[in-house]
Amino acid sequence: MDITNLIIKLKKIDQLLIGLLCLIIIVGLFTVASSEKLAQSIIMAQLINIFVGVSSMLLIILSDPKKIFSLAPLIYLLSLFLLVLVQFFGYEVNGSQRWLNLGLMKFQPSELLKVTLPLALAWLYHINESKISWKTHIVAILIILIPFMLILIQPDLGTALMISFIALSIIFCAGLSIKLIGWGVIILLLSSPFIWNSLESYQQSRILTMFDPFSDALGSGYQTIQSMIALGSGGLIGKGWNNAQQTFLEFLPEASTDFIFAVFSEEFGFIGVIAILSIYFLFLLRCNFMISRMQDTFSRLLSLGLIVSIFLGLIINLGMISGLLPIVGVPLPFFSYGGTSMVVSLISIGIIMNLYINKTLIAN
Amino acid sequence: MQKFQIRYTFNQRLNFMMSIIIVLMGIIVLRFFYLQVIQYDFYKTKSISNSLRTIPIASLRGIIYDRNKQVLAENRLIYNLEINPEDNLNLDEVKNRLAKIIHITDTDISNYKKLVKNNIYATSLPIKIDLSAEETAHFVAHQFQFPDISILQRQERFYPFGELSSHAVGYINRINSKDIQDIKNKNLESKYNGVNHIGKTGIEYFYEDIIHGRPGYQRVEVNAQNDIFRIIEEIPPINGDNISLTIDIRLQEKIVKKFENKKGAFVAIDVNNGEILSYVSQPSYDPNLFINGINFDAWDQLNNNSTKPLLNRVIAGLYPPGSTLKPFIALSGIENNLRRPPFAIEDPGFFQMPGAKKIFRDWKKGGHGHVDIIKAIAVSCDTFFYGLGLELGMTKMNRTLSQFYFGEQTGLDLAGEKKGLLATPKWKQKTYKKPWYGGETAITAIGQGFTQVTPIQLAYATALLANPKLNKKPHLLLYSTKKELTDIDQKPPAINPASLKTIYQGMEDVTQDGGTAAFIGKKSKYKIAAKTGTAQVFGLAQGEEYDEDTLPEHLKDHALFIAYAPAEKPKVAVAVIVENGGHGSSAAGPIAKTFFDHYFEEF
Repeated sequence: MDITNLIIKLKKIDQLLIGLLCLIIIVGLFTVASSEKLAQSIIMAQLINIFVGVSSMLLIILSDPKKIFSLAPLIYLLSLFLLVLVQFFGYEVNGSQRWLNLGLMKFQPSELLKVTLPLALAWLYHINESKISWKTHIVAILIILIPFMLILIQPDLGTALMISFIALSIIFCAGLSIKLIGWGVIILLLSSPFIWNSLESYQQSRILTMFDPFSDALGSGYQTIQSMIALGSGGLIGKGWNNAQQTFLEFLPEASTDFIFAVFSEEFGFIGVIAILSIYFLFLLRCNFMISRMQDTFSRLLSLGLIVSIFLGLIINLGMISGLLPIVGVPLPFFSYGGTSMVVSLISIGIIMNLYINKTLIAN
Repeated sequence: MQKFQIRYTFNQRLNFMMSIIIVLMGIIVLRFFYLQVIQYDFYKTKSISNSLRTIPIASLRGIIYDRNKQVLAENRLIYNLEINPEDNLNLDEVKNRLAKIIHITDTDISNYKKLVKNNIYATSLPIKIDLSAEETAHFVAHQFQFPDISILQRQERFYPFGELSSHAVGYINRINSKDIQDIKNKNLESKYNGVNHIGKTGIEYFYEDIIHGRPGYQRVEVNAQNDIFRIIEEIPPINGDNISLTIDIRLQEKIVKKFENKKGAFVAIDVNNGEILSYVSQPSYDPNLFINGINFDAWDQLNNNSTKPLLNRVIAGLYPPGSTLKPFIALSGIENNLRRPPFAIEDPGFFQMPGAKKIFRDWKKGGHGHVDIIKAIAVSCDTFFYGLGLELGMTKMNRTLSQFYFGEQTGLDLAGEKKGLLATPKWKQKTYKKPWYGGETAITAIGQGFTQVTPIQLAYATALLANPKLNKKPHLLLYSTKKELTDIDQKPPAINPASLKTIYQGMEDVTQDGGTAAFIGKKSKYKIAAKTGTAQVFGLAQGEEYDEDTLPEHLKDHALFIAYAPAEKPKVAVAVIVENGGHGSSAAGPIAKTFFDHYFEEF
């Protein structure tokens, strides 16, 4: 690839999307900085995460989309392999085996599935474009089920449900019959008591306390309550940056990662929340616009899956910190401290940009 | 297959997915609006209470002195081992661990459990109280093995005179649930934050509000681990007032010695101002046992003891006054223009009820011969008083007696004072559903019958007799650094001074040759006016003889003695009761004499 070609490609990058992304990441960085006593070290660590993420994103943007397409099944299989590895070599945090240690950095292979599963599904529907039948859907279900089970036994119910929801949104947009979806929903509702019984007791208590966190204020409701106190006491205008009492008095758990937005809400109040959510909203609209311009099934379904993945993360995270959803370890994309989430999210955006820049390439 | 794509295009499905995301984001925004704007006040309060703590700082209880600055109650520095009840430690395991380095028993553990039950909000309670110096050193050296147990310096109440002062000074004890209710009713919660003890009896109880002081507090911000993050404000405690009592503990010590092992009470009152100079109730108990909750065995021993050491006899012991009532009955006679000298009777040794066969005997066989009212007091002539009593009747007798606060509280500064009893026909009808007999009027005049008095009443009445101008209640508080003695004024008896002269003469003759307590006056450098008394515990049937030698101890008569001295210019009045002591002059008189001797020696 020569230099001129590279510059042309870089010029094609969607500037609005990049601008919105930068805003979110910078605000997130400042919030992360205020969430820890040793701000310097966490800023450095997060900057490294961002650097690795942005480099990966650029690398993806500049790569050949056809290569992405042809490597899709392989990448998917590789991520499955890593999930299996976790079963044997992963180490436990809080009772579940989710992490792989790669020497320099630790990461969660299940996070990778948020990219590789859409890749595999988009690839599947693309190669069967002209002859999509129920058989294709069965294969798709298999592609989903294998990683779903592997993640479920870690156990990590939250992520397992999340990737299946992402996958289902892809199947839906690939053209699944509405009637079939209706039946699926009915079956799901009927089987919900059995699903409930198969849940671990800590998962059950998390769901129960969601409805009344104060019923177990020092137990499983504790995190939710402290988070809601952080939010509520932030009020309309907030307590100001670096002034989040709930955080520096250590009442708020996991302040820099899962509960980072509670810190932000306490510091900047409802006005700050509206501002950030507006940026995310514009970001979503821009992505929607880009996807609607795409021509081929692979690009469309893959981009859709990735954007659903990012915004599902956002909804679950905000629902969780505001007491609408049970506590599941889902970070806020681009905002929370943490390497895997940041890198995976940026790679996702890189893929969407690549596919948008090259929207005519794969179709041919 | 084609059907799907025709029915809904990809872009339609994409827009549907986007709509779902947007609706969910909208719900999130509403949720944030609800929490941050609508419920702001609720969560703001929560956020503040999350991290604000008030840590009380205990105030020091005031020291109690006697009138000569002898310390009766003080605060002693002790070392306790304390644990936090919220930690829910396994107590057996804690005990076993501690037993390796200090002396700890099951009693300590059960005391701790009792404390936990009564102090539901306490965050630190002692599992071992008052370590010895050796144990303290031992524990400090091994502290690292006991991260869940802390060694704390505490101020503990200590009564150096123990049994000697207990009935007057009283004691403090751990606050229990009933005290908490009282404190709440009086709206004094703020004065008891972080306070573990409260006055339970005696002066400690009565002057609780001035001795107690006011605890201070620290308002601090804490983090989730309850570590103090910063101090917001600090209000220092106000220590309780030191107070001095009217009693002279050294003199009291001599009186108690004189009681030997006998039961009874002794009160001495300054006739010019109502100060209680001695306050003795025997037997007594060690108030130091109560400070941290008395253990069951010790309590059982005190509470079920036949000698009733816990009974505060001075104010709650009820006794028939016996002949000590005679001076007051005589006064009633003279005030009512009866039996004024030179009126006299010839005493045959008994009194016959007019119009009845019933005979009342004098204590002396054969009688006292020619007896006027002065001699009647001096020799304690029963015959004389039977007649006087009948002629006066209950109404007139009671009117005089109640002027001297018989049948009423004297109003001294202790709780639990009994009123005693001045009986009336109406009272008898109500209580026993029986009519009043004339004979009961007759025996009331010699201090038997239904009449009941407390030692403080006897002493106070004697003081009022000696100085009818005394217009103060008897009292134990000499002064406090803050509180003025305000509400101790009391209406003196309305008695004609001329009437008293006759009574004084009779009482002075008691300690002279021929009087019932002649031996008391014999070697005395000053003149004592007195009256002896013997109160029957055991009703003798008509014709039965009282034989002191064969009667069991607890059925023997109570010995009583009232006196004031010096007779010419009275300074102090006393009342003595020796339970089952036999005759008033021999058992009770010497105790009064001991007091006077020591008291006047100092002047």
